[in-house]
Amino acid sequence: MTSSTRPVVLHVLRCIGFAELSRVADAAGLAEAEAESDLIDLAVAGLVTRTGGQFGGWGLTDAGRAEDARSTAEELAAAGARAAISTAYERFMVLNPELLELCSAWHLRAVDGSAAPNDHSDGGYDARILDRFVDLDRRADPVCGELSAALPRFRRYRARLTTALDRARSGELEHLTESMTSYHTVWFQLHEDLLATLGIPRQ
Amino acid sequence: MRFLHPLAADSDGPADLLGAKARGLIVLRRLGLPVPPGFVIDARACRAHLRIGRFPAGLDAELAVAVRDLEAATGRRFGGRERPLAVSVRSGAAVSMPGMMNTVLNLGLTRDATAALAAETADPGFAQEARRRFLISFAAAAGGAGDVADDAMSQLRAAVGAVFSSWRTPRATTYRELHGIPHDLGTAVIVQAMVFGNRDRRSGTGVAFSRDPNTGRNEPYGDVLFGRQGEDVVSGESTTRPLAELAHRAPGVWRDLRAALHRLERHYGDACHVEFTFEAGRLWLLQVRPGGLTARAAIRTAVDLAEEHLIDRRTALRRITPHHLRQAHTPRVRTGDGVEVLARGRGASPGVATGRLAVTADRAAEMAADGPVILVRPTTSPLDMHGLAAAGGIVTSKGGPTSHAAIVARAMGKPAVVGATALTVDTAARSVRAGERVLGEGTIITLDGSGGEIVIGDPGADDAGADGHLHRLLDWADAVSGDRSPRSAEQRLSDAQARLRDIAA
Repeated sequence: MTSSTRPVVLHVLRCIGFAELSRVADAAGLAEAEAESDLIDLAVAGLVTRTGGQFGGWGLTDAGRAEDARSTAEELAAAGARAAISTAYERFMVLNPELLELCSAWHLRAVDGSAAPNDHSDGGYDARILDRFVDLDRRADPVCGELSAALPRFRRYRARLTTALDRARSGELEHLTESMTSYHTVWFQLHEDLLATLGIPRQ
Repeated sequence: MRFLHPLAADSDGPADLLGAKARGLIVLRRLGLPVPPGFVIDARACRAHLRIGRFPAGLDAELAVAVRDLEAATGRRFGGRERPLAVSVRSGAAVSMPGMMNTVLNLGLTRDATAALAAETADPGFAQEARRRFLISFAAAAGGAGDVADDAMSQLRAAVGAVFSSWRTPRATTYRELHGIPHDLGTAVIVQAMVFGNRDRRSGTGVAFSRDPNTGRNEPYGDVLFGRQGEDVVSGESTTRPLAELAHRAPGVWRDLRAALHRLERHYGDACHVEFTFEAGRLWLLQVRPGGLTARAAIRTAVDLAEEHLIDRRTALRRITPHHLRQAHTPRVRTGDGVEVLARGRGASPGVATGRLAVTADRAAEMAADGPVILVRPTTSPLDMHGLAAAGGIVTSKGGPTSHAAIVARAMGKPAVVGATALTVDTAARSVRAGERVLGEGTIITLDGSGGEIVIGDPGADDAGADGHLHRLLDWADAVSGDRSPRSAEQRLSDAQARLRDIAA
């Protein structure tokens, strides 16, 4: 079992960057013990490393990055999924600017012609933004569906986006943009995953 | 004409139907300033189009008449085999609405018209480039669907229809929801004869403020791109030059631009900014808007305008809001004598941060143990998150205020500047280059996430508390309210504004 999830854990680190075990496990959809076992195996193989210090965590080595690029390309070819993922990526990129504008509106609000920090004192404004997040999420749903149909590992993003949005709707507003499992953070990682999977450099 | 109005001094269509951009163009005409001839299709045509899914009855005929008038005004033929007329098609909102089709340039450059333009200018490269720009902007407008008709009127109808339809894109709908704009307004569409900023060495395009929008200093401020067309300035894909370079590279344009800005300030009684293009040494204005200043600049400008007798002190007091006063207390980096500005970008997360330069997230995380770090990246990905977390401030050379980097910086509460296009990040050499300057890793730099400045060293920061203009404004406020007791700046202003409302009533 462990060996089959090892490439998943490797690829998670490729998409989320340096991270503590709990974030790796959450992004991979694994129990922490399983994820840790994979990380240790990957470290023994020289593909990941753990750095200490305040901003440390598990991360890829250069060899790990190369191995992930190889295995991701192999996976894409084996599944014959390039065309489907490319189409879904184009649809994702239509939604992406709108998501970024929504996140910006959450942070900043036009007051007297200039942008001021949104101090969240206007519940109506915040509620409008949250409504638009929900609307955008509804339109993102078929894109997530196409991605999951083409490569099942993309299913995890749908689950993580839903978790973030549900928590925000229940009043934990930091799960829109602030937290490390926020809607924006997960979306940003999905964006990175699409670029990595298709081998497109970030602009 | 029911839907169309010429962009002329005597045009008097209803303001809400013409849109802010067309109204600005009509003001420019009234002031005798140079505006390319054209016409505006008012928002009623858009509303009808959205309702019935096609052009309303009569719009085609009106377009044909308006194009004939434009041909007569320019002495050119639309899509013609000689002296061809090309036009720009723009949506009518003063502020571009995300998701809406914004601009199609060089429309009407059919194959024949492009050949005619090449022959007329004896510059086939220029004509081909103009057609290429048309095809790109048209494809973006039409959503990449379908072929471009090789007929100028068909192109015009398609572009106008694309602007109308773009009102309903989800992204535009979201924008209106967030900003409280009614969904049934619709947009006007502006069609004007093209002027070519890419015509030759004495051509270009830019944005000019009548006063520095960051400080309020009474000097024209802005960016210019030589030999390029309008969208290049906005897109940030090309490196712009400071506006003042016009003074020696196109002195006639510089003189006319300064005179136009001066004239517009007298008209609006306020600072303003324009989009402009110059072709073969001749200036054209494409848009004007009053205001557009940061809070501290707005305060300084209101006081200066009162002292220049362009407005009275009461107007100055009414113009400044409590929000301006609060914003004015955001710390800003000191600039001026002895401070070397490395580059400018767009402020994406307010505040001033100083630290040692790092060009990779890994190095930022390592260096942060020894004190504050500024992370400078071309753009950011999730792989940079540990570096963003470690850094005290963030700079990207690409991207805008809604980039992932900007959002993460704001979410983390860190000052950030994005789109500092003059910077080149060299991760291999661990350095950042801006023109001739090369700064190695570890160099102390300071960024200002409000004004977008990146300066070398640590010049320190200040806020408006030390600002003489603010003190003068508040003195005037106390004179109006008759209350000189110690109170907050906001209270002093709001007391004066309440008194002014009483007087008016």
